[in-house]
Amino acid sequence: MSSSPVMIKGTKSGIILVLDKTTDFEELKTEIAKKFKSSSKFLGNATLALTFDGKSLSDKEQMEVIDIIHSNSNLNIACVVETNAEKEELLKKSLNEHLMELTTNSGQFYKGNLRSGQVLESETSIIVLGDVNPGSKIVSKGNIIILGTLKGTAYAGASGNEGAFVMALDMLPMQIRIADIIARSSDEKPRKHEPKEPKIAYVEDGNIYIEPFSKDVVNDIRYFK
Amino acid sequence: MGEVIVITSGKGGVGKTTTTANVGTGLAKLNKKVVLIDTDIGLRNLDVVMGLENRIVYNLVDVVEGNCRIKQALIKDKRYPNLYLLPSAQTRDKTSVSPEQMKKLSDELREEFDYILMDCPAGIEQGFKNAIAGADRALVVTTPEVSAVRDADRIIGLLEANEIKNTHLIVNRLRSDMVKRGDMMSSDDVVEILAVDLIGVVPDDESVVISTNQGEPLVGNESLAGQAYLNICHRLLGEEVPFLDLNAKNSLMARLAGIFKKN
Repeated sequence: MSSSPVMIKGTKSGIILVLDKTTDFEELKTEIAKKFKSSSKFLGNATLALTFDGKSLSDKEQMEVIDIIHSNSNLNIACVVETNAEKEELLKKSLNEHLMELTTNSGQFYKGNLRSGQVLESETSIIVLGDVNPGSKIVSKGNIIILGTLKGTAYAGASGNEGAFVMALDMLPMQIRIADIIARSSDEKPRKHEPKEPKIAYVEDGNIYIEPFSKDVVNDIRYFK
Repeated sequence: MGEVIVITSGKGGVGKTTTTANVGTGLAKLNKKVVLIDTDIGLRNLDVVMGLENRIVYNLVDVVEGNCRIKQALIKDKRYPNLYLLPSAQTRDKTSVSPEQMKKLSDELREEFDYILMDCPAGIEQGFKNAIAGADRALVVTTPEVSAVRDADRIIGLLEANEIKNTHLIVNRLRSDMVKRGDMMSSDDVVEILAVDLIGVVPDDESVVISTNQGEPLVGNESLAGQAYLNICHRLLGEEVPFLDLNAKNSLMARLAGIFKKN
């Protein structure tokens, strides 16, 4: 394999693209395209940083290479970093920030009911179009919004964000966890004919509070501050 | 040293979980230190019947895999401070735990508790093998139906094959009116088929359904089933208790019905 003019190496936070110094750029481009196409399944759809090694490229050429990677694989190149230890740190930091931003500011949808024994885990906030039944669990590093009834367990801010919240159109949770704080349902008999009302659960002074959803509560949410 | 008791039946829906909840609560009521273990991984129920579902943080699989200490996973009952529940995992399956691990776990719990009750899943596969692994004795639950009795017979054979000799029988959901009409096996008929000592007969009682739905075991209350379960607990402790007259309530009902008919 050492005879190949293009090599992909993995690091802790991204990939290194090793380009043969003697091969000319046009030829390298077709090789890169081939390489990423053939290994796109293996590489998956991760978001990572790219480092060039070997042949030095101009900014314009680097952009061209990134375009080739995007069009031949599902990888998402967050940034380009040069090779050295100092930069490695920087790269890790910027990647983490990028991921953090993704976690806090983006979300995904899930349509369907979660039934007993099912677990839905998400790196980002999640919106469920359906019910969350007893015995099932939603875990999100961001917020959880349930457009249905929450009767199971919801775990928001799973990476430790106490600002995260859980909202449901009908709030009858078994347990709610936000960051490291756990609240369980009361042992009182469940109400029968109380009208449904959207409610939101959030952390204040180390306790989880559940309140009817209102503008005032939304304004107090720390997550977006 | 505590005693490990497995509650099993082979057939599903005959009342293993209800029996575990009530016998466990009953023993706690009689001042024994008791832990209930739900070994039905993937289809846990005992926590619901005990009304403790909302307290689950860690479970059996977490303990076995070393994600937490035993103490962290044990849920203290809301009624009796000497009663604990080790809930099962809902998102895993029976293969998450091995019989060796269950034996080790029950041996650790033995140090601290008087009674360790294993709620066995239906069937004779891995879940059953896990549940009986550390058991000293067994309570076989059956209903007076041929299918349930057939499965109980198979289970008793498997228990014997696994060196569990101390086996007792609970006949559950008996309807004395049907027995009288000859439409149902009596507890004596069941004992004759299975040739195992009887430790309790629990009548078919509406209050069992109500108590299950409310998550409040009925052992020791005024219902016939509640009394029957408490008697089982006394017998487990080695006391001699006469069997209940299951006709008592019925004959009273019959008498009342008779009065209304006359009018």
